[in-house]
Amino acid sequence: MHGRPRKAYKPEEEAASAAKAAKLRALQSQFMSNHHNKIYTKEAVDLSTKLLEINPEAYTAWNYRKLAVEDKLSRIESDPDLIKTILDEELRVVESALSQNFKSYGAWHHRKWVLSKGHSSVGNELQLLNKFQKLDTRNFHAWNYRRFVVELTKRSEQDELKYTDDMIGSDFSNYSAWHNRSVLLSSLLARKADGFLPNKKIPDEYKLVQNAIFTDEDDQSGWFYHLWLLDQTVNVETPLLTSSWPSHGSRISLYAGCSNGSFSKLTTFGSESGYFPLVLNFDQAVGGVSSSTVTIDTELKGNEDLVWEPVSKKNSHVSCVWVARLKYISSEPCFGKEYKVKVKIGNSPGIVSSRGCNFSASYEFVFTAHVHDTVEESSQEGIVSWTDGFDIWDAESKDLNALTTLDRSNAQMDSKWRQEAIAEEIDLFRELPDSKIGKLTLARLLMAKAMISDDAVKGVHYNEILELYKDLMALDSSHYQYYKDVHSVALLRKVTSSTEDLSGHLFRCRNMNNSVCLRLNNLSLSRIASVEKLLFVQMLDLSHNELHSTEGLGGMQLLSCLNLSHNRIRSFSALDSLRHLKQLRVLDVSHNHIGEHSVDTTRYLCSSPLFNSEWTQDEVGRQMPTLVTKYWDAYFVLRDLNLKQLDITGNVIAGDVFSSFVLRVVPKLVWLDGKKLEI
Amino acid sequence: MSETDVHGEAVDWESEDEDSDDSEEQEEGYTSPSQPPSSWNFDKDRHLVYLQMMYELLPHHYQSQEINRLTLAHFIISGLHFLGATDRVDKDVVAKWVLSFQAFPSNRASLKEGEFYGFYGSRSSQFPIDENGDLTHNNSHLASTYCALAILKVIGHDLSTIDSESLLLSMKNLQQDDGSFMPTHTGGETDLRFVYCAAAISDMLGDWSGMDKEKAKNYILNCQSYDGGFGLIPGSESHGGGTYCAIASLRLMGFIGADLLSNDSSSSILDPSLLLNWSLQRQASDGGFQGRTNKRSDTCYAFWIGAVLKLIGGDAFIDKIALRQFLLSCQSKYGGFSKYPGALPDLYHSYYGYTAFSFLEEPGLSPLCPELGLPLLTALGI
Repeated sequence: MHGRPRKAYKPEEEAASAAKAAKLRALQSQFMSNHHNKIYTKEAVDLSTKLLEINPEAYTAWNYRKLAVEDKLSRIESDPDLIKTILDEELRVVESALSQNFKSYGAWHHRKWVLSKGHSSVGNELQLLNKFQKLDTRNFHAWNYRRFVVELTKRSEQDELKYTDDMIGSDFSNYSAWHNRSVLLSSLLARKADGFLPNKKIPDEYKLVQNAIFTDEDDQSGWFYHLWLLDQTVNVETPLLTSSWPSHGSRISLYAGCSNGSFSKLTTFGSESGYFPLVLNFDQAVGGVSSSTVTIDTELKGNEDLVWEPVSKKNSHVSCVWVARLKYISSEPCFGKEYKVKVKIGNSPGIVSSRGCNFSASYEFVFTAHVHDTVEESSQEGIVSWTDGFDIWDAESKDLNALTTLDRSNAQMDSKWRQEAIAEEIDLFRELPDSKIGKLTLARLLMAKAMISDDAVKGVHYNEILELYKDLMALDSSHYQYYKDVHSVALLRKVTSSTEDLSGHLFRCRNMNNSVCLRLNNLSLSRIASVEKLLFVQMLDLSHNELHSTEGLGGMQLLSCLNLSHNRIRSFSALDSLRHLKQLRVLDVSHNHIGEHSVDTTRYLCSSPLFNSEWTQDEVGRQMPTLVTKYWDAYFVLRDLNLKQLDITGNVIAGDVFSSFVLRVVPKLVWLDGKKLEI
Repeated sequence: MSETDVHGEAVDWESEDEDSDDSEEQEEGYTSPSQPPSSWNFDKDRHLVYLQMMYELLPHHYQSQEINRLTLAHFIISGLHFLGATDRVDKDVVAKWVLSFQAFPSNRASLKEGEFYGFYGSRSSQFPIDENGDLTHNNSHLASTYCALAILKVIGHDLSTIDSESLLLSMKNLQQDDGSFMPTHTGGETDLRFVYCAAAISDMLGDWSGMDKEKAKNYILNCQSYDGGFGLIPGSESHGGGTYCAIASLRLMGFIGADLLSNDSSSSILDPSLLLNWSLQRQASDGGFQGRTNKRSDTCYAFWIGAVLKLIGGDAFIDKIALRQFLLSCQSKYGGFSKYPGALPDLYHSYYGYTAFSFLEEPGLSPLCPELGLPLLTALGI
């Protein structure tokens, strides 16, 4: 069916072919001379026709013909019949070239050029295409040309949709037809064409694709389309605010001084800088968060012109997470008071998703900040130990509720038909006999269901999802890491799906003033997810997992202590997202794989920091260029952190040279690898 | 003119690299057992013989490819470099030959309005300068320009010595309002292939003044389909070649890094997990890669898709043993690779067979620079 050759050679044709070549050469030089001398006589143009019939790829000849046509058109009065004759001749030449080589870019382009002149009858084009597309149903030139003709003739998208019905009906493996169907439907749904409301049309489409899927399970066409439908069912294009810190209705206590060891309650925050972060988490990356799109109403002084920063890589202007720092200690005495802070988002337009959709529904939330007059002494420059002294967290979970329950009022999504459509699919796929793709689709459907349904029913589904991914890891080892990653995502969704689940992972750290620590250790996590539910976390234990990178942690703006020991971090570049954590004081990356692998040299090719003069301009870079060059990936992360404690043992990179480098880059460091530094 | 040599005057074109569906030789469903693969190892010696033969004398099958003579030369010369046999090429002769295809404005100071001064694909598209010292027809082509620079780079010619001012300045004329590129200023289809050519040219010359990167990026992002792959133009079906052009261009322009999959995907400019998904599913049950869903596996997509996976950091998920087996089933007993198992070899599929084996880290082959589709040259970058 597939990969139709455009020409077949038989041995007996060889001699004829040689003769043809000689003729071609003669033709070519004559053609060149005509072109050069701008000769557009009938004989000259016929010569180019001959050339193109032999070699449709000769783009120079197509360009010559365009000049010739322009020349002819300029010589005749606007006689419609004559114009038509001239252009029809071009169409004929293209058609004959296409029968020689169906895949000639030049020929298809020439046809478009002729049609765009506007005088030819476009009515025949679809008939011609139907003929071509019967011969090769997958030819992408033909499909592209079809879309071009449809646009030119203003043929209705509904009619084209019917054409894909026919093509899919005669061969549901025709992915090109499925593709075109998705393009047409997207457009029809987006402009709400008559009879194309998502709640009606998408369930119909599920039925159509089921036929394909259940007829031949090994065919990818239907599966891709199914995945697209699922995406249409679950995702809403307009960006939504999913969470914030502080959250709506919460009451936070703010102290002056270092927070290290002082956060016995989840709602307590302290910083020596006198600023606390205000964090907004969106469901997709957005740009345009600023003091004009987000307004703050508060009596806390000095917060009139807030600067909003995206938590993303340098030079990127979009992010899911945006942070502003609010001042709570000013020169004027304001201790011992409670302040209401009202945050309004999207009052004026400007917040736009990276797909170009506006944050339309304005939204506001209020929290209370209690600024304490006592200065919490950063009690000790004590070492933070992760090894023992953890008690189950026993506080009431309503404390936690306030932190994690999201205000869903802004999730304006008509969810009934979505839930029903997904529920039907789930029932269907539970029936499907065991197959890898069936299991994967079921897991995705269950995940989708969890995303759009109420919290109450989630736990059960997550267990089923986790089982499915475990099965898949065993069944399909070549995609093990993929299943592992999505398993991690599902597990973290489960952990954060309810306060009961979450509180099972919260501990008090006895050695540290009963600070609350979220422990997600020993879960064989290979990636991080659900950060939007964990914005309040200040102490996090991710040790003994299988993490390769800290992607996502950048959103946890309150994070002060982080344990990443016994993971699979291979370089400091993988810790890049930690640069955003201004509160981070304690970092344990011991027993990883840092330094085991030489730095990926392809990095040098695209954006080598060595070409970047940035580092030579700062103090450390000037003083110790050799070490900075050697450890540039560590340098770029560490210099932006304000660490007091760092553990790096058990990595290949660790050693005296690296330690001396660290001391220079992180001058405020007190503890390195468990030893107090002599200052 | 049944046969011609590389330095001679004559024939041929391949529709640039991306649409690979154009090997001329095979017959419908031709998987004859009478042509077993030459061996179950990468047969370097035979490949050397094959390329050497092509270097000296091109078979007449390539006559319809005359317009793309530089492209064919690039496949041969860069192919020899992959095989570690650069000494078989007379570098000075080749450099002189390649440079002879460069187009210049008649008066260096004033570029002709709207024209592009790059490289011609072959003598047949190169016109003599007329009595006024004027270039009547300037048919220089972006793909030929990419191939010309690629050859020069591979043979170690110092690209900084090339007079590239008019080339880059005039390349701007080819960029359209939507960010795409035309291959020649006289007109032609605009699509991702030529965005890639422009990006690779800018990268090789170390000068990005000839294109608007931001516009090009937006055009590329408009080409991503719902399944995660990229079509050659916005709204078209995902295609292995289009996806390569998109990702390699974004990489060359510095919009994505090697860590696309592992770092900060939420603020990524494209959907990396869907892209990974689509790309991995192009590996078919026979171990080879197909260019589009439900098409046959084809040698060249081992490179186009393999390189995409390499560029986004997802190559670990490829079943490399199965891919190797498939590629070996396309290895000809005459040297070279064919499009499908059992078919006759051709230069295009041979070259991308070599790049694929380089990607698979076959011992004795030069390492691959995936974003340029060339051997990784030690003098490159650092």
